[in-house]
Amino acid sequence: MAFNKKQAYLIMLQKGFMAMLPLNLAVLPWGILCGSLAIQRDFTVLEAILMPALVFAGSVQLVVIELMNDNAPLATILFTTFIISSRHFLYGLAFRDKLKVLPLKWRASLGFLLTDELFALSGSNKAFVGKLRLTYALAAGGSFYLCWLFWNILGIVAGSYLPDLTSLGLDFAIAVTFIALVVPSMTNLPVLITVITAGFFSVIFKLANWELGLVLSSLIAMFCGYLAANKQAKLNIKKQRAS
Amino acid sequence: MTLITILLLACITFCSRYLFLHPKLPLRMGAKMTHFLSFSAPAVLTAIWVPIIFIKDNSFNASITNPYLLAATVAVITSYKSHNVYLTLGTSITVFVVLQLIG
Repeated sequence: MAFNKKQAYLIMLQKGFMAMLPLNLAVLPWGILCGSLAIQRDFTVLEAILMPALVFAGSVQLVVIELMNDNAPLATILFTTFIISSRHFLYGLAFRDKLKVLPLKWRASLGFLLTDELFALSGSNKAFVGKLRLTYALAAGGSFYLCWLFWNILGIVAGSYLPDLTSLGLDFAIAVTFIALVVPSMTNLPVLITVITAGFFSVIFKLANWELGLVLSSLIAMFCGYLAANKQAKLNIKKQRAS
Repeated sequence: MTLITILLLACITFCSRYLFLHPKLPLRMGAKMTHFLSFSAPAVLTAIWVPIIFIKDNSFNASITNPYLLAATVAVITSYKSHNVYLTLGTSITVFVVLQLIG
């Protein structure tokens, strides 16, 4: 077959890039918002670039820029960042068994790139298994990093000249991408219960403006799904015994 | 001062992502924990997308004039029928844009 190794890696790079493309475009308004907000709140250009380049977390950037502008104490800023970032612990845990065995360069780079968006694309059982799939993840996560950085710089340079892009409804693109990734996985009752519970509690907590709401609603939903699956397994055993 | 704060923030976000990937961390994941975590993707992703659809300007909006809700319904149906990410994105974003233009 005329299909050598190098070509296979190139195809995986391309596939990773294409899979992330909708999400790369969907975060454009937030990237611009983060960049322009930093400049408007008297960050220097260097500081405004280091936010996406090193912190690399949209919700943290937005909240922290406002907190720093309000002269909030450092402890408050750090604690808030910790709370908003705590959902990442779940992502690390979910991929621990697959990634902990890899060399440091893979662990550190994929760890750094482990955003909501990369997590969203890595739901398959086979994600991160084998060099080719790692290349795919690196292309997806890496392209997201570069786009996020670029959108922020766009905001830093042109923020004040652009209209408010967040009112255009581009957040719908993020929502619909997640829908397209979640719905096909709803093949059994426990996952359906997980999804409904997560949706219900996330809305309640969001309306209460609770930063911890995302993690908490996820944990409650995971627990409900887990209990439902165990219950189902027990019922199946009983059925088998009865028949 | 801002620079130091930014470096500290970077440490927090990186550590939150990397911590559980570290092999030296004394944590063995049993079958129960793995099973529990298998629900993390549908749970977290849903907890992100549902509020985008239903909450506008800090209030709950489930009326049929909410373009987010209508287009999301199209997305759920398309995704359920086709299992195709691009088709789902294409149809629902088209519906969404048309609704935005009409509204």
